[in-house]
Amino acid sequence: MFSRHVYKQLSAYCQGELSTAETKRVSEHLIGCNSCRNEYEQIKLGVILAQQIPRVQAPAKLWNDLQGRSASARVLNTKAGPSSLRLFLRPKFLLASSILIVLVSLGMFWLYLRETHPFWEVVSIDGSPQIGARGIKQKGRLGLGQWLETDSRSRAEIAVSSIGHVEIDPNTRVRLVETKPTEHRLELQHGRLSARIWAPPKLFYVDTPSAVAADLGCAYTLEVDEYGASLLRVTSGWVALQLRDRESMVPAGAACATRPGIGPGTPYFEDASDSFRAALQNIDFGPEKNQSLDLLLVNARVRDTLTLWHLLARVDAADRARIYERMVELVPPPDTVTRADVMALKPDALDSWKEKLELSWSNYSSPTMKALKKVWTSGTGKIHEMEGKK
Amino acid sequence: MEQRAVMEQPTIDSDLIVACQRGDRESFRLLFETYKDRVFSIAVYSLGGDHAAAADVTQQIFLKLMTSITQFRGDAEFTTWLYRMVINACTDEHRRRRRFLPIGESMPSSRTVDRNPQEKRYARLEIGNSVRDAINELKPKFRIPILLKYLEGLSYEEIATVMDCSKGTVASRLNRGHKALAKRLGHLKGELLE
Repeated sequence: MFSRHVYKQLSAYCQGELSTAETKRVSEHLIGCNSCRNEYEQIKLGVILAQQIPRVQAPAKLWNDLQGRSASARVLNTKAGPSSLRLFLRPKFLLASSILIVLVSLGMFWLYLRETHPFWEVVSIDGSPQIGARGIKQKGRLGLGQWLETDSRSRAEIAVSSIGHVEIDPNTRVRLVETKPTEHRLELQHGRLSARIWAPPKLFYVDTPSAVAADLGCAYTLEVDEYGASLLRVTSGWVALQLRDRESMVPAGAACATRPGIGPGTPYFEDASDSFRAALQNIDFGPEKNQSLDLLLVNARVRDTLTLWHLLARVDAADRARIYERMVELVPPPDTVTRADVMALKPDALDSWKEKLELSWSNYSSPTMKALKKVWTSGTGKIHEMEGKK
Repeated sequence: MEQRAVMEQPTIDSDLIVACQRGDRESFRLLFETYKDRVFSIAVYSLGGDHAAAADVTQQIFLKLMTSITQFRGDAEFTTWLYRMVINACTDEHRRRRRFLPIGESMPSSRTVDRNPQEKRYARLEIGNSVRDAINELKPKFRIPILLKYLEGLSYEEIATVMDCSKGTVASRLNRGHKALAKRLGHLKGELLE
């Protein structure tokens, strides 16, 4: 009585189509369930009634008629054609066909437009951001080559294909440069954006006047001032900044400034001391590099080997030796790495030491981060160069 | 002209099918004799009892069988193949006829206009007619499983194969069909159980 009702099985039950176990279950249920028992009485009556239907004998002359028609098979065949044709000429069929053709055509046109005129969806968060000369109220589409601009009171969010989102802060101007399965690229002329990307590394790029930011699976903010200088701050994962052969890899918790004509500076952790950061600013973009290097080395912590490691390849041999000695004090290189190799900037030696240093650069030792790094270093590794954006 | 439905399946061996495929007319005659009543019965019930239309459809089916039996490859039961052909032909004809009937006009049937209700009440033959009329009223998706089950004696699985649906769907449709018959002809219960 308390088991599941058996309405649906009753015909099969009456006609012996159930398994032994199912038959037993239905029988037991019927004993205790009035509702199913009433239903069973109905079905049983229906079965008895259906058993009364007589088979009807075909007319005796059917064979003769059939032979006659068979003899004129050609005629029949020719009738079969128009019969099929009639099917296709029925109003319902024609209407359905027309609708189908229209829908298919629209679908193909839409795909064609998507292919030839790709776009990203833009949602207004505040105010009325502009795409081209047109303001958007709630949603808009940023087409290839189009500019999206926010004023002091507007903000917007861009859906980067299906790989992430970019939030555009006030007073920002960005342009959709490229969107295709192998590359998505924005240009940030000025202002600030925050990107969160969950695509494989090196699929999303942001061009700035002084460097290209290549996403390695991360979240970050990128700010460009009126002079084209930029500041990258990474909150998750890694971002690579590059201009021609100069490259900086910036992990979570670190930042990196760029300057037009120079490219990316040296990455540093944002919790480094003010003295350290001021010294680095001078080394990267200022005139007094020697004194600044002294100050930098004195103030360097174990974690700041991120900065020192990048500087090894950016200074002359004398300064490289000083940096090397300080790094040895902070984190000695692996046994396989010799001083001569480092001074000669041998890639294998630098990479081996870097692997060891990375343990002190936050939680970079996680498998995900190692995989990201491997993708980066084993690939061609070259980001599109910035040309004419100084 | 009417006989009680029998449940045993005719035995058609593969040699007969092969002979038909070769164009042997006598073999085809045997095939025709074996299945003509079954095909005709399904057609009659599917077409609202219109015997003339059912005869026409039956001829069309056997004509088609003559020309297409060479396409039968033996990887399915011949009866399954045939029943599908019958159901498709009847469904097409049913649709075609429905389009040309004014709304509200019922299907012509072989119901006798001078049927005596008193006689019908007690005559088993007339009970059969009432059931046939009630089956005519069923929607095709409920009527066809009833016909295949009670005219042809197919199992749920065989019906499912013919109708290209699941066994569960067959069970559900038969349930609906049985209930509809019981609702419509409940007044005959006494006579049936005598």
